[in-house]
Amino acid sequence: MMKHSKPWALTLCCLAALLTVGCSSLKTPVTAEVAVSKATVANAASAGGAEYAPVEMRAAREKLALANKAMATKDYKQARSLAALAQADAKLAQSKANSAKAQTAADALQDDIRILREELERNNN
Amino acid sequence: MKKYLLTPTLLAVAALISACGSVPKNTSLLDQTRSDYVQAQNNPDVAKYAPLEMQQAGTALAQANAAADDRTSLEKIDSLAYIAKQKIALTQEVAKKKSAEAEIASSAKERDQMRLDQRTNEANIANLNAEKARVSAAVAQSEAALAQRQTQEALARTAQLEAQLAVQLADMAAKKTERGMVITLGDVLFGTDQAHLSADGVRTAQKLATVLQQNPQRSVLIEGFTDSTGSDAYNMALSQRRATTVRGALTDLGVAADRIDMQAYGETHPVAANDSASNRQLNRRVEIVLSNGSDRVIAR
Repeated sequence: MMKHSKPWALTLCCLAALLTVGCSSLKTPVTAEVAVSKATVANAASAGGAEYAPVEMRAAREKLALANKAMATKDYKQARSLAALAQADAKLAQSKANSAKAQTAADALQDDIRILREELERNNN
Repeated sequence: MKKYLLTPTLLAVAALISACGSVPKNTSLLDQTRSDYVQAQNNPDVAKYAPLEMQQAGTALAQANAAADDRTSLEKIDSLAYIAKQKIALTQEVAKKKSAEAEIASSAKERDQMRLDQRTNEANIANLNAEKARVSAAVAQSEAALAQRQTQEALARTAQLEAQLAVQLADMAAKKTERGMVITLGDVLFGTDQAHLSADGVRTAQKLATVLQQNPQRSVLIEGFTDSTGSDAYNMALSQRRATTVRGALTDLGVAADRIDMQAYGETHPVAANDSASNRQLNRRVEIVLSNGSDRVIAR
C-alpha cells in the first residue's frame, strides 16, 4: 500500500508544478508584450508622434495605460489585447511622423529649387 | 397529423440554424478595414515602396477575417480588425515617406544642377564684367593718350606762336613793360606835323596787324605823344590825330575796332628833355602797347 502511494504523490506534484508553470507562462509573455508596446510608444514619441500624429499618439498612450491597469488586476488576456492595439497605434504614429518629416524636407527642397530658379532667371535677364 | 409534420419542421429549423451559423460574423470596423485594404492595393506607391508592410497588413486582415469566420467574440474581431486597419494606414504612410524620399533624391539632383548652372552663370557674368573693365580701361588709356598728345600739341603750338611773336616783336623793336610789349612808332614814320603814316610806318602797322591776327586774344592800346613845341591844345589834337591814323591803319588791315583802345597825351609823358631837336623828335611818337594776355591794357 505504501509502495503504491509514492508514484501517486509524485504524479500529483508534477501536475501541480505543471499548472504553476502554465499559469506563470501566461503572465511572463504578456509582461514582455506590454514592455514592447511601451518601448514602441516611447520610440513614436521621440520620433515626433505627438506633433505629427496626435490622435494616434493619444490612442496609443491611453491603451498602454489600460494595458498596465489590466496587468495590475491580473487580467492578462485583456492586457495582451490592449498592448497589441497600443503597439499598432504607436507604430502608425511613428510612421506618420516620419512621412510628415520626409514630406517637409521634400517641400523645403522644392522651395530651394524655386528660389534658385528665380535667381537664375533674374541673373539671365 | 401533428406528429407527421413535426419531423420536417424540426429538420427545417435545424437547417436554418446551421445555415445561419455558417454565415460569418461581421462588424462595420472590419468592413471599413477591408475597404482600406482595397484602397491600399490600388495605390501604385504602396506596391512600389511598401510591399513588405502591405504583406504584414494582409496577414493581419486575414487573421481578422478568420476570427470573423470562426464566429469568435465581436470584441476579438474588432480588436484584430483595428490592428489590421492601423497596419494598412502604416503601409500608406511608409509609401508616402518613401515617395517623399524619392522626390528628395531627384530634387536634390535638380537643385545641384541648378546650383551648378548658377555658378556657371556667375562665372560668365564675372568674365563679361572683366572683359568690360578691360575694354573700358583700354578706352580710358587711349583717351588719356589722345588728351596728352593734344595737350602736347597745344603746348607746342603755343610755344611756336610765342617764339614767332618774340621774333616779330623783336623785329618791331618792342620793349617789354609791366603793361605789355610797347612798340614805338617814331616821328620819322609820320610827316612833320602830319598825321599820315610814311611807307615804313605802314609796314610796321602791317607787322602789328599780323601779330594781332595770330594772337586773337590780345588787344592794343594806342597812345599818342608830342614834344612841347606849340600850344597844348594843338599838341593834344596832333597826338590824337596820329593815334587815330594808326588805329585806322590797323582796322584797314582787318583788326577788329573793339580790340583797339586809343589815348592822346599831347606833350605829357616825354621820353627825353625837350632841349634839342633830336630829343624833341624822340618825344614825337605813337606808342602801341600790346596786351600780355586777354586783359585790356590800362591807360596811364
